[in-house]
Amino acid sequence: MSSNTYRSALVAAMREAMEQNDKTMIIGQGVADFKGLFGTTLGLSEKYPTRVIETPLSEDAIAGICIGASLNGMYPINTHIRADFGLLIFNQLINLAAKYRYMFGGLFEVPLMMRMIIGRSWGQGAQHSQSLQSLLAHIPGLVVVMPSSPQSILESYKYAINNYKGPVIMLEHRLLYELEFEEQETRLVNPLFGSIKIRVGSDVTVVATSVMVLEAKRAAEHLEDFGISVEIIDLHSISHPDHDMILTSLRKTGKLIVADTSWTSYGVAAEINRIINESDPAILKSPPISLGMAPAPCPTAKSLEDLYYPDVHDLVESICRLHFGGNPNKIPLPAKQSMTDFYKHFKGPF
Amino acid sequence: MAEVNIQVTSSYHLRMIQEEELLYQALRIRLVEEKIIELYPTDQIQSPVHLSIGQEAVAVGVCANLSDDDWVFINYRGHAFYLAKGGPLPEFFAELMGKSGGLSKGKAGSMHLADPKHGVIGASAVVASTISHALGAALASKIRGESKRIFVANFGDGAMEQGVFFESLNFASLHKLPVLFLCEDNGLAVHTSRKDRQSFDIEKLVNAFGIPAITIEKGYDPHEIASLSKAAIDQVRDHSAPVFFRIRTVRYREHVGPGEDFAAGYRSEEAVTNWKSHDPLYEESERFTKYRKLISEEINKALDFAHASPVAKSEELLTDVI
Repeated sequence: MSSNTYRSALVAAMREAMEQNDKTMIIGQGVADFKGLFGTTLGLSEKYPTRVIETPLSEDAIAGICIGASLNGMYPINTHIRADFGLLIFNQLINLAAKYRYMFGGLFEVPLMMRMIIGRSWGQGAQHSQSLQSLLAHIPGLVVVMPSSPQSILESYKYAINNYKGPVIMLEHRLLYELEFEEQETRLVNPLFGSIKIRVGSDVTVVATSVMVLEAKRAAEHLEDFGISVEIIDLHSISHPDHDMILTSLRKTGKLIVADTSWTSYGVAAEINRIINESDPAILKSPPISLGMAPAPCPTAKSLEDLYYPDVHDLVESICRLHFGGNPNKIPLPAKQSMTDFYKHFKGPF
Repeated sequence: MAEVNIQVTSSYHLRMIQEEELLYQALRIRLVEEKIIELYPTDQIQSPVHLSIGQEAVAVGVCANLSDDDWVFINYRGHAFYLAKGGPLPEFFAELMGKSGGLSKGKAGSMHLADPKHGVIGASAVVASTISHALGAALASKIRGESKRIFVANFGDGAMEQGVFFESLNFASLHKLPVLFLCEDNGLAVHTSRKDRQSFDIEKLVNAFGIPAITIEKGYDPHEIASLSKAAIDQVRDHSAPVFFRIRTVRYREHVGPGEDFAAGYRSEEAVTNWKSHDPLYEESERFTKYRKLISEEINKALDFAHASPVAKSEELLTDVI
């Protein structure tokens, strides 16, 4: 692979899925158009005209068609260029796909994948930018993954398509698409389940999702110069995170920050705190901090949008607060700058 | 099926045998539903039942033209289709009673019947939600280049108001999918009649998508349904294209539960009584007495199986979640 971007991993994952498995079909709005879902399906409809299917704007029916095709032996990959459009398939996803195996006592399996792209970049507003992981991970029967690197994509998509027999939701992040990554190993035994230790540290644990993993890395690198050691856990499988990894890390650091791409209440931050509280609440040496979107719909105006999302600035400040109980050593904070501007100009490597 | 002692000497006799068989199958479903009505107050069936009583001829007539490879996507009022398509009766009662001997080990109950071996694909309790599944299965079949296999989306007239119905008509026509849209039109959505729900002429609407629409008025007549649905099914099979097939029928009982609810006043008892006067299953004759006896024996055996089956096992609580 000449480049190691998030997008190139998606291109490879889709191409490989079509080449290596004649049960795979890719179906969704824009999969066969000249943009090919941010380039990730380009050229595939010409090569596999019966298995790459452009659709009418009928998300509800298409999701049901995926279930029916799956019941009849295909592996459908249904795409949603904005995760927000995925809200239109919640009946099929929650009432049918998630329950199909259980409700019929194991008579059926519905292996399929929903690729939903979190549309956040600049100015996407209230309906083109949402992160739906906690709504989905709440439902028994669904596997929800937020890959944060090309390696996570290559491993988890391949495993889902070839080995896993149920519905999987892949929440991809638009801000990550163009970024270049250094080669890394995820060391996941089953790439749909579990979390990934991204960085070993001893002072503070940051549990992060998706693009917030990269912000946590930036924060950790900044603080390393000031002698603060940050451990980072990429939650990766939102529905089935690695509880032991989180608890083991906190037994060492005693200090927790959850950095998620969505709202904090009833969300990933709430769930991580539940896991800790039900297992070993005494391991926290100080109250944890949750970072997520402001509790409002996403505003379009850039001045407000920049305030809306937490970023490396908030992470550094929060880590200092947990580590020192404030910032008495006057460690400089990174400038509060627009995250979207940063990711537009800095392409990695991460 | 009981043996019917008519010597096969001509096509007339063949037709007679088929008519006998259809009546027998419809009566069998009727008696199963009546047994459920009888049992319901005993609380052996501890979940809601949406009885097919009155609508048996639809399932029997259509399924007479389907093989096990043809899949039917059913709904919460699914007893008749499950049985007509070949779903086993002992396991049916076990399923309704929440016993581990049910095909879905008691986790499905009355509203989620399924029997993949006989092409009965899972019933959903959310109106219209399996219509698109039939399209998807048909699409898969088409991608693999299979021919002569059809997929039946079975729904009621209330489902035609759901957005997914329109989306499905469009997609099935666009992709020329071998789907039979099979509407059991009992004129009611729960307790709401058509005039309060629909502004459209269903046949014109379906035609607007380039899909032929056929309506059968005599939804009590299994033979008429069998012969007319054969033509529609052959068309779907031979041309790999969708057909909309509507059968007018009457739900004899309340929307959910074993009772009658004419006293509520939302529909005319007289119209139902009039319909029943055409219903061949009320025939009093020697042959029907014989059929009833045979069917009762089958039902009693099936109930023995269900009663003897252990309750759903505790380890099933967390089995088959993912």
